[in-house]
Amino acid sequence: MTRILSIFEIDSETSRGADLNDILNESKALSLDQLRQQVDSLASDLILAGGDDHSANQVIDGLRQLCELGLDNAQLFDSVGKVQQIIATGESANRQLLLSNCISELQVAIAATQKSSSDSGNNKSSMFGNLMEDPELVQDFIMESMEHLSTIESSLLKLEEDPSLTEPIHCVFRGFHTIKGLAGFLELESIREVAHEIETVLDLARNLEIDMSPAVIDVVLASADYLKQAVKDVEQGLKGDKKASQPTAAILARVRSLSEHKSKGGNQVALAESAKNDQKANQGISKEQLPNTKTESSNAVSQFSIRVETAKLDHLLDMVGELVIAQSMVRHDPTLAFSGSVRLQAHLAHLNTITEEIQKTTMTLRMVPMATLFQRMKRLVRDVARKAGKQAELELVGEDTELDKTVVDGLADPLMHMVRNALDHGVEDSGEREAAGKPRTAQIGIRAYHQGGQMVIELSDDGRGLNRDKILAKAKQNGIVAESAHLTDTEIYQLIFEPGFSTADKVTDISGRGVGMDVVKRNILKMRGRVDIYSVAGSGTTFFIRLPLTLAIIDGLVVGVGTERYVVPIFAVTEMFRPTREMLSSLENKYEMVLVRGQLLPIVRLHRRFGIVAKSDDPCQSLFIVTESDGIRFCLMVDEFIGKQEVVIKSLGDCFKNIQGIAGGAILGDGRVGLILEMAGLAMEREAAA
Amino acid sequence: MEQGNIAIAVDGRAGKYLAFNLGNEEFGVQVLKVREIIGVQDITAVPNTPGYLKGVINLRGKVIPVIDLRVKFGLEQIAYTKRTCIIVVQVDGFNGAILIGVVVDGVSEVLNITAQDLENTPDFGIGDTIPYILGMAKMKDGVKMLLDISTVLSQREFQGVGAVAG
Repeated sequence: MTRILSIFEIDSETSRGADLNDILNESKALSLDQLRQQVDSLASDLILAGGDDHSANQVIDGLRQLCELGLDNAQLFDSVGKVQQIIATGESANRQLLLSNCISELQVAIAATQKSSSDSGNNKSSMFGNLMEDPELVQDFIMESMEHLSTIESSLLKLEEDPSLTEPIHCVFRGFHTIKGLAGFLELESIREVAHEIETVLDLARNLEIDMSPAVIDVVLASADYLKQAVKDVEQGLKGDKKASQPTAAILARVRSLSEHKSKGGNQVALAESAKNDQKANQGISKEQLPNTKTESSNAVSQFSIRVETAKLDHLLDMVGELVIAQSMVRHDPTLAFSGSVRLQAHLAHLNTITEEIQKTTMTLRMVPMATLFQRMKRLVRDVARKAGKQAELELVGEDTELDKTVVDGLADPLMHMVRNALDHGVEDSGEREAAGKPRTAQIGIRAYHQGGQMVIELSDDGRGLNRDKILAKAKQNGIVAESAHLTDTEIYQLIFEPGFSTADKVTDISGRGVGMDVVKRNILKMRGRVDIYSVAGSGTTFFIRLPLTLAIIDGLVVGVGTERYVVPIFAVTEMFRPTREMLSSLENKYEMVLVRGQLLPIVRLHRRFGIVAKSDDPCQSLFIVTESDGIRFCLMVDEFIGKQEVVIKSLGDCFKNIQGIAGGAILGDGRVGLILEMAGLAMEREAAA
Repeated sequence: MEQGNIAIAVDGRAGKYLAFNLGNEEFGVQVLKVREIIGVQDITAVPNTPGYLKGVINLRGKVIPVIDLRVKFGLEQIAYTKRTCIIVVQVDGFNGAILIGVVVDGVSEVLNITAQDLENTPDFGIGDTIPYILGMAKMKDGVKMLLDISTVLSQREFQGVGAVAG
């Protein structure tokens, strides 16, 4: 034991000569308790010798932790040996660096051990200890890495399509290099290591020493995935949700084997061969057929963007809204009308133009192109097609179409499920396709465009189409549809959105449990959108997703009841009319109804529901709004129609969270707050009252 | 530190208060909680809510709730006058700080209240002390009741809103 300690005396000349192996071999026989003692005395020695330096303490902490975790002796001695060497040989400046490397290594070892040990819950992890020192820096790292990783992915897919391109290789290289640099700075050793190994491979590719074959790309993609997960783990760590990082060994081995193949030279043939096989398997998978100019332009745009907190954006939006209101108040001020100054009117008109322009621009700030979402789909099609053993080509149109960020985020899940379904159920395998006289490779198309103030996303496949009879039979079997029911094609197709509904004969790991389409419908409805299906048996299915351009703004009808004004979302309104006496009837003088186009609809008097005084209690002096929500149709009675306005939806806050029939607030043209009605809530209340 | 100030430091309730009145009663609210004071403006009533919740207003693009302390404290309701104003206070909500407007009859001054001025709420024989009264300040021109505005506007009370509406 004394011999080990002597080695840790930094200034000791004798320590350099000490036979490390000898000591280590000797110590392998020691028990864990003895080891612990050794580390303790080592710690005190180090403090005595090297003073108070931080890194040395960290090394000791790490060693202690390893002892506690019961790491196998060999590994521990390995680390001890390294520390010894560092302390024995290094000059002080160099030593610092070496020590910090050693610390990172220890942390990785600790994390790995923690993962493998069964009671990981009780373990203290120091892996993320350093992260907490500067959370902002780490946050930046997370954002930046994620961005780089998605660029890497897109470049790789481009490269897969045409391996002779050099620019994507450089692009991928740069991405990994930046991540490596950042990770090294933050002492995220496992990330740094993987990125470093990938760089080695890419360097070879850059120098044309290995081909970027699909096999190689697979490995690089896998490591990008690994890094993505690792970065997510870091994010979790930052939130205080401590979790050991994933083991790096497997991925490192895969990457290293690539670069080793190269250096051994002889094995390159084997690699090339396996690559060839792979290539056969995924001939022509997921080729984007976008015009190059488009892709380039979107890349160029992303180069010049900055990240802004959404809170700041919302505040800007609020203020612009106020500006517009204030401006319109000035404009309509009676004093100005009387002044009759032409010059003043001209200035006001000019101000008006500018304000409108500002408002328009602010509204587009929240809009982001669909490109990132499309990016994910490329990858998904590639992976799923390979997994399902099918050949598919993805055609993307409208990458630059802009959509509210929240909508894009909300669209990610539904689109994923739909693409999986299209590939797994919609598209036949190549044999079947050939028999049906179709090209072997299936076409999946995703198109995004604006139409009539709405966003339309079209997902089409040229597969077998929906089987009308099979769906109907299954629905009848499940009792969703009555045996005798006669349904139109559209109604039948909508059945696939029922929860738990699946016509798949077997459940695969891609799909078949009937959950996916239910998710699709729910998410889209949540975003006030809808899904339509068109399908031709034998030649394919097309899904049309229609969404509002933004969730923050709705088109509303401003209606008045007494002195109050309310906003009725326009998507809930079917028609408006003023009833005549003969249209009205009542039951027990209590329940009122109105006959509209041969249909009897219940009447909801808004002023009664809300307990306010209306201008007139006579329905014939009032306005009726026919509305439909969740399949319940009713007539809402209000005093008058004031106008149509696009309003920004604002939450009423926690205080008014659960008010039935109110969806939120909106600032009206005169600066007052108008309440946005929630039709489903009004209908439900109607039921409760009845 | 001077001798006299030690007592102040000990009593956390000492400090600056914004004085306002409701009828004949004078109240104080911690200045640190007050964000701004605005005149009475159009308040949009929210249906099916307790009476003291007057509704919502537009505070420069933000929709904030407004409560009427007169109604809340069971005083007789009067028409709003020129002196009536809304004190916008910041209190802790479930999801971070929230702004709430409080309608009062009028504000008068900012009081510097020292520990010597403070006294606990006397026992009125009604059992527990009133939770939202921090204490009493004996000033030259009368006694001011110091309100713990976060407790007055406690979220627990607002949670009842849903129940009333339902």
